[in-house]
Amino acid sequence: MKLFKRAGILMLAGMFALSGCSGGGGESKNQTVNPDQDANFNKTGLPIVKEAVTLKMVSPKAALAPDYSKMEIFKRLEKQTNVKIDWENIPDTDFAEKKNLLLASGDLPDAFYGAGFTDYDLINYGKDGTIIPLENLIDKYAPNLKMLLDRRPDIKLAITAPDGHIYGLPSWEENKLDTNPFFHVINKNWLDKLGLKLPQTLDEYTQALIAFKTKDPNGNGKADEIPLSFMHMQWCSDIAGIFGAFGLPDNLEHRIVREGKVIFTATQPQYKEALKYIHDNWYKQGLIDPESFTQDAAQYLAKGKTPDETLGSYVWWEVEEVVGPERSKDYALLPPLKGPNGDQMIGRNNGGGPGRGSFVITKENRYPAMTMRWIDQQYDPYMAAQIHWGPLDVVFKKDEKGKLVNLPLPKGVSAGEFRQKVAPGTGNPGVITFDDFGKVVDMEPRAQKRAEYLEKYYTPYMKKENYASIFFEPDELDKINRIEPELIKYVNTQRGKFIVDGEVDEKWDSYVKTLEKMGLNELMEIYQKGLDRYNANLKNK
Amino acid sequence: MNQLLKRKSKGDMWFDIVNYVMLTIVMLLVLFPLYFVLIASLSDPNLIYSGEVWFFPKGFTLDGYGRIFSDSSIWIGYANSILYASLGTLIGVAVTVCAAYPLARKGLAGKSVIMWFLLISMFFSGGLIPTYLLIKDLHMLNTIWALVIPGAGGVFNVIIVRTFFQSTIPDEMWEAASIDGCSNTRFFWSIVLPLSKSVIAVMVLYHVVGFWNGFFDALIYLNDESKYPLQLVLRNILVQNQANSSMMIDVESYAAKMRVTELIKYGVIMVSSLPLLILYPFLQKYFVKGVMIGSIKG
Repeated sequence: MKLFKRAGILMLAGMFALSGCSGGGGESKNQTVNPDQDANFNKTGLPIVKEAVTLKMVSPKAALAPDYSKMEIFKRLEKQTNVKIDWENIPDTDFAEKKNLLLASGDLPDAFYGAGFTDYDLINYGKDGTIIPLENLIDKYAPNLKMLLDRRPDIKLAITAPDGHIYGLPSWEENKLDTNPFFHVINKNWLDKLGLKLPQTLDEYTQALIAFKTKDPNGNGKADEIPLSFMHMQWCSDIAGIFGAFGLPDNLEHRIVREGKVIFTATQPQYKEALKYIHDNWYKQGLIDPESFTQDAAQYLAKGKTPDETLGSYVWWEVEEVVGPERSKDYALLPPLKGPNGDQMIGRNNGGGPGRGSFVITKENRYPAMTMRWIDQQYDPYMAAQIHWGPLDVVFKKDEKGKLVNLPLPKGVSAGEFRQKVAPGTGNPGVITFDDFGKVVDMEPRAQKRAEYLEKYYTPYMKKENYASIFFEPDELDKINRIEPELIKYVNTQRGKFIVDGEVDEKWDSYVKTLEKMGLNELMEIYQKGLDRYNANLKNK
Repeated sequence: MNQLLKRKSKGDMWFDIVNYVMLTIVMLLVLFPLYFVLIASLSDPNLIYSGEVWFFPKGFTLDGYGRIFSDSSIWIGYANSILYASLGTLIGVAVTVCAAYPLARKGLAGKSVIMWFLLISMFFSGGLIPTYLLIKDLHMLNTIWALVIPGAGGVFNVIIVRTFFQSTIPDEMWEAASIDGCSNTRFFWSIVLPLSKSVIAVMVLYHVVGFWNGFFDALIYLNDESKYPLQLVLRNILVQNQANSSMMIDVESYAAKMRVTELIKYGVIMVSSLPLLILYPFLQKYFVKGVMIGSIKG
């Protein structure tokens, strides 16, 4: 009797637990409004809805930026479309954490804006229905985006998940600036003082560094000159460019493509050669700033601004930022150097395609069609430019040809600071293609200058091929995520050790063996497979 | 005899000297970082990075403080932090003391069961997402309550206070009071609380420091920037200069961010730690007494 009672209580408890579950979770509370029967909704033209409708969006926000609801550009959009956005702005540094919390707890907004969804997020949350496929909505309700995707099949391919759906919308400025971020800079003033000409070969460069170290070019009687400083394996400040002088240019991923074949640079003989040279000729002689392996950007940038000029040579994609505008005339860019065997080339960055997770619509959204029409506004190149850099009449004005040109800045504010305050900024929805630059909007003056330098100094020494930003299958992505971070970390640590300690010949074989043990071959196979598939798809389009 | 005394005092002297030297070194080790933050807040950021600043401010500037004092978000954060810390401390201390007192008394039925439950919660928590969902379902998201209520009555604090009560308020006192016709409530208010000032002061300090330094709850539960406590505002300022390399597309804004950050980083540390530095000396005299008694016989 007692036993029955107990069993009964247990069963009751179980039933409660079950009913609790299905009541709480399960399908979304909202039913999607059928747009064709919604009298409030305009399928074309503006405003999008007759009576104001509110959508809830979560978005990251730069630290200096105000709440998006107070941002001029969004106020205008609201007036035009009659769609009110209830913004939840999260400081960009905490965004990833909060986004994952919202997704994991099912506390979903209507859409994530500037969403920063990784491929992994897109596939997983797409698969379980948390975010909805967008391709049909794009066809029906997003004329601007549709036009863009029709015109540029490569963009469409880049944002299409392996299962054929589009879950996230693109974000891109196709300015071709990121092909090579490693601008090698040398102190021209010191070269002149020491009677040296601009180095053309690696050996001449080494001689110049030695002279910088030993001949007191800044004339203060102290040996405080830093011949060469850089940031080990960091974006835009590493010496990966130098490796081209040995016949095989490198990049931060150590992955390049030659005639459709993926090559891992960090196990190649040329890479080994380069490490040996750098250790023997530079590190051993004290030509490399030892802090190059540890410093952060703030320390690095401060080195160029010491009271006495101490920096001889450095890597950064803009001269002024390191040494300040006044000293920048002392410094000159160094074209790729000729190596011991006459090789002269520079690496090329991988990827560089559109970002694909900048806008997603969740299953909680009752008005996906309306949301799609709203976001499509931003795929008009004019609007995209304003979202990325700032609104008309605040940052831009239209010239007689209808192109957006920069207005003068308010006094005492830097452009970067000002733009953060008036527009969401780069990385947000919207695509400005290469064709749009010069027609719709000018590149920022500094970016333009960089593009010119790139064209003049580096592009001629660059191979065309790189590894596109490919959307992988989930299981491939799993494998890459499992193998690659550890492997790259190991390669980079070893690179630092080889440069500092030498002993390249002695330790090379065990280094390569360790990489193979870590799954290098499997990783390269996945990359090769992905590339082959990508190229085949591109041909079919 | 005389000699022995002399030798001993010599040894004592050396012991004292060594002691003082060691303590001075420790003191300098503790004080110097504080002092460095102070002088760094008055120096040119570039000189700090090139290692020129180490004992006196160089490139003297008040720009950092100027920016801090003109930045409204810092002041809003200050006001919020004071509100959260005072309200949170009030609730937290009240709950802690009220929970600890009955658990310290002999007559409470089911005492050990309650203690068990409390202890279990000390070692196992629901985890971030269930907690978030709970706060959400209680409709406390984006309100002050999400910060001050869930953490009230921490078990560890309850144990400290309970032990304090057990060891300083003898049962005989209650017997004597009850013979005189004192009720339980009256006894708690008029006898227990006045005798427990030191442990309450310690609890106040624990809570104030906790609320003042805490940012994670605010980060998770608050959406509205005007509700951010000071530490979250500061965190947003400080983490600005940790550049994510792949996101570093807009160099210009990166440089702008960095200059601002470097300029105000140290000043902000000064401004934010000042209230606690001021508060601590007033509570310090209770501190040793309160914590020591509370921690013995746990």
